[in-house]
Amino acid sequence: MKTASYIRKGWVDKVNTIINNIGYFIKEAKTTIKINLMSNILSILSIGLILFFAVATLSGWWMSSHVVEALENEAEINVYFKEDIDKDKIEYMIKNIEVIEGVEDVRLVDENEAYSRMEDILGKEAKVLEYLNENPFSPYIEVGIDLESIESIVEDLKNIEGVEQIRDNREILDKIRNIAALLETLGYIFIAAVGVSTLIIVSHIIRTGIYENREQINTLLLLGAPDGFIALPFILEGLILTLGGGLLASLMAFLSLKYVYSAMTGPLPFIPLPEFQSMGSNLIVIIMFFSAAFGILGSLFGLRSAGSQ
Amino acid sequence: MIEAEGVCLKYSDGTMALNNVDLHIESGETVYVTGPSGSGKTSLLKLFMGIEYPTDGKLTVLGQPIIRGQASGIRQLRRSIGPVFQDFRLVKGRTAIENVMLGARFLNMSNRKLKESAVSVLAKVGLEKKMFSMVEHLSWGECQRVAIARAIVRKPKLILADEPTGNLDKDNALNIMELFASLKDENTTVVITTHATHLLHDLGEGRLIHIENGIIHQERLG
Repeated sequence: MKTASYIRKGWVDKVNTIINNIGYFIKEAKTTIKINLMSNILSILSIGLILFFAVATLSGWWMSSHVVEALENEAEINVYFKEDIDKDKIEYMIKNIEVIEGVEDVRLVDENEAYSRMEDILGKEAKVLEYLNENPFSPYIEVGIDLESIESIVEDLKNIEGVEQIRDNREILDKIRNIAALLETLGYIFIAAVGVSTLIIVSHIIRTGIYENREQINTLLLLGAPDGFIALPFILEGLILTLGGGLLASLMAFLSLKYVYSAMTGPLPFIPLPEFQSMGSNLIVIIMFFSAAFGILGSLFGLRSAGSQ
Repeated sequence: MIEAEGVCLKYSDGTMALNNVDLHIESGETVYVTGPSGSGKTSLLKLFMGIEYPTDGKLTVLGQPIIRGQASGIRQLRRSIGPVFQDFRLVKGRTAIENVMLGARFLNMSNRKLKESAVSVLAKVGLEKKMFSMVEHLSWGECQRVAIARAIVRKPKLILADEPTGNLDKDNALNIMELFASLKDENTTVVITTHATHLLHDLGEGRLIHIENGIIHQERLG
């Protein structure tokens, strides 16, 4: 019981020491940054650029995953039939399609609906359709499916009389899946590389700071200052560097995303991109979280390696 | 408070700094350590602070044995000591008051109380007008007084001062010695190394330890 209250008191004292000295720690971190101002500015720029490249890969992975997910959720096959076929025959085909295993929904899309869907897809660019003298779109049967059964469904559809062409998005889906997988792998590699480079930069800066402040540190040790008290300004310095880099990366990522979105939503409006606002804010949260984590870890590495020497 | 039994300190180059020292210092005592340069005065203080370890014998300071492998205990011990180093060890680029406050920042004192204490001790050492001066702009003697203020502000159980009056004129030196002697009222033990033997008899009370060739001789003042 006595030991527990002693330990509790120890922690309360430590927390009080930190609270009482917050101003001192910030001032010390600022002083250490000022001593090597140019190195610190360059470090912030390097960290910002490194984080930005990681974020670019991450957002590419994010976007392509979103596209894959959107396409998977709307898995469908378009069945085109001979143009001279009569209405009863079409009804008959629909009934045959409905009984195929894995088919979830079947409906006829006539030429007018096909035209209006294209208008929706093209958005602002839909005015190009006005230059056409007549509706160029053919009617087709839209088949909603379970993506797992796509192979067998396509085989069954081929055997239905009157079916002229079957269009599915397997090829596109596979390509986007491959891109997403590549970007995912690249994302992991980039994050690992970013982590290692940031840790090296921060720990090097911290070691330099410790070297520059060695006399002060020795004095503090002789006065009996606890390790945490000596270390905190350096941890803060690392945090300031990486958060600075993180802010820079966030700004660059925000501007780049804005550019990419405006470039893509115009000419390529049918690509289902994630919502700009949520993607932007999520990326910023991720960048700042990783920046803080890398800053603390890098400082601890720097302190540890300087301490061991 | 301080117990030394047969303590020896031999440096790696073979120099015998202290030889078979037996010493018992009570709480609240004021002890002046004198002796020629290189006699072992600073080495004795270094042992008391746990900067050096006895190569032989047994030494305990404030209940903490001074032996290797006790880093945490020795760090804790140093928090109860107010050291005044011969080279002051003030932090450059900081003001006098910042240096004084640095001595007690990690001793669980509120910032306001610490500032008040720092102002008060700086006034005691006669530096109230220079408290916001950068230490680089202070004279040698003023730096010495900042170092003394930094030791006192910690309200330590033990003050270890290495030549604290070395560069002060007679009046200032006597003032500083009197300041240290007055700490007796707060039951603070003070160990001072000094060359200023001519001041000691003016101070009245205390114990005099004379070191020569690492061997100590003791006498009581007053």
